Amino acid sequence: MIGNLRLGLASRAGYFVGLLSRALGRGRGESIHGRVLLKVYPSALEKLAAGRDIVLVSGTNGKTTTTTHLANILALGTDELVSTSTFGANMHSGIATALATKPRNRYVVLECDELYLPFMYQALKPKVIVLLNLSRDQLHRTGEVRKVANLWNKTFTQDDVTLVIDRDDPFLEFAAAHAGHVLRITFGGRKHPDAATCPSCSALLDWSAGDYKCECGLGSELPQVRADQRLRGPGRNSVLAIEAARLMGAVVPVDLQEELTSNAPDRVSEFNVADRKIPTRLAKNPESWRESLSQLSASQIILSVNAKGIDGLDTSWLWDIDYGSLKSTKVICTGDRRLDVAYRLSVAGIDVAIAESFVKAVEMFTCEQIEAIASYTAFQDLAANSLGLSRAVTGGQQ
Amino acid sequence: MSKLQIVRLYHDLLGTYGDQGNAEILIHRARAREFDVELHEVAPGESVPDSGDIYLLGGGEDGPQSIALEMLLADGGLTRAVSKGASLLAVCAGFQLIGTALPNSAGQDVKGLEIVDVTTIYTEQERCVGELVIAGPLDLEGNQSIFTGFENHQGRTKLGEGVSPLGIVLRGFGNGFANDSGQIDEGVQMGNVYGTYMHGPVLARNPSLADQILTSALGTLATYHDEFAQALASERRATLWPNN
Repeated sequence: MIGNLRLGLASRAGYFVGLLSRALGRGRGESIHGRVLLKVYPSALEKLAAGRDIVLVSGTNGKTTTTTHLANILALGTDELVSTSTFGANMHSGIATALATKPRNRYVVLECDELYLPFMYQALKPKVIVLLNLSRDQLHRTGEVRKVANLWNKTFTQDDVTLVIDRDDPFLEFAAAHAGHVLRITFGGRKHPDAATCPSCSALLDWSAGDYKCECGLGSELPQVRADQRLRGPGRNSVLAIEAARLMGAVVPVDLQEELTSNAPDRVSEFNVADRKIPTRLAKNPESWRESLSQLSASQIILSVNAKGIDGLDTSWLWDIDYGSLKSTKVICTGDRRLDVAYRLSVAGIDVAIAESFVKAVEMFTCEQIEAIASYTAFQDLAANSLGLSRAVTGGQQ
Repeated sequence: MSKLQIVRLYHDLLGTYGDQGNAEILIHRARAREFDVELHEVAPGESVPDSGDIYLLGGGEDGPQSIALEMLLADGGLTRAVSKGASLLAVCAGFQLIGTALPNSAGQDVKGLEIVDVTTIYTEQERCVGELVIAGPLDLEGNQSIFTGFENHQGRTKLGEGVSPLGIVLRGFGNGFANDSGQIDEGVQMGNVYGTYMHGPVLARNPSLADQILTSALGTLATYHDEFAQALASERRATLWPNN
């Protein structure tokens, strides 16, 4: 009883600091709420998770969108109240905040950073973990894709959780190799750009049939679900979300399932910049850039790239992407690392220029239709600016 | 005139850190001087031609690095080409491969390609991650060259007796060993062979190094000013080494 009282007070203290943080324009306040809570009540995570039905969503790309999507599917399919994380706050403090916000909601769907997943699995005792994909991202922090896969492989050795995985990703198949319960979903196989060799035995993977095979047997487990091969990343993530929701007891009618996968949400936000509305995609690593580039339709494109912390400090990966789809467009690069992008595009033969700020980039275009891709912090700054917050905007934007 | 032959080795295995861009930059800068260029992609399992002019090895993860080493040792094409005078740019895992010894993915020391006398050892020390700035050799006009790149490696590399580094570390880790004068070496340069820990890719951020490698294969080059290349190199130098 005393413990609960303390937890309640700690959570309230955190909540007010969060409000204050938002009011001061220092971000959205979710993480700081959780930070205060954990400081005052260190075992808050375990306590707030106890007795609730938790799903964790992790992977390189699509965590935030899939988490929101899965929470909606669960709410629709179970008529229960569902708590979820917001805005990609996916480490200790962000997760604590999400758990504390509506502590009586039975279901909780939480986005979890890849490196924090082992800890959260132990602390929160989730019923289901959805593993979306693994590819190169923030190499300065994660070191190698294989390191994350190894970490997960060593973590999931019990039968107290069900993993929902896209088995076409060999890193995920390896991550789930010792897990007690795995729901494997296939989309018919597709070449993984970072998996020339086997994550398990290091031999060259055989990709000749469009799917991987290895002499060590990786990938030989039969999938339980066979889904549409034509789906792109967001659609594939929706299929995983629907299967996870079913495991949690949700009823998802077939027509709704089709609707959810064919209209899977892309992470596109519309920002008001210089009195124009600019549809902007968040892309932060080679895989999400490929996905975003394939969806652009405007002939005037702004690319905004920073290299701060969460963006990844090394911009070399810009050279891993095929920019052929930009051949007939006009591109303006902005952000702290605009020259890295501009040089990369000029070598690829793209018509490119640079601008000191996003606002100036928009002003350089005359006609209406402009689309943008922004790296993580560049996107955050656009979002903050769009909400009228006073956060310093990267790349000199006013 | 015959075409400049650039050979990119095992992009699937040694393409983790974006070093494949080095090939595109060399091609771009050679074509700007009106040379014909041909790029040969060598996939794992294919034989390595020994008639190329410039060979490129990139950075990769430990497991794929070990496989690349086994294949290059068994094939022999790269070593033959270099002994005939071909140029080689080897980055990170690729730089480690061309030495005499390096740790394999299980942490044991194995024999390298023995193209240059450098030895890489595994250490439990912190991983070398971050921006790297080095003072390279004097350029053709006698000016001190400053190169920048991004390093991300665990191994430390020691140069053999009398072997020259590519430069001296001004900021970052580089090879991780001090030389006799107490300076930290970065990379290696021996004839037409260049080894470095710098990603970026290194030739995107250091166009003068790209031209140095092209010169080693083509002889004296016409002047070429690429606005974005120069601006990027200057911006990186000014940001990371403002004292200069």
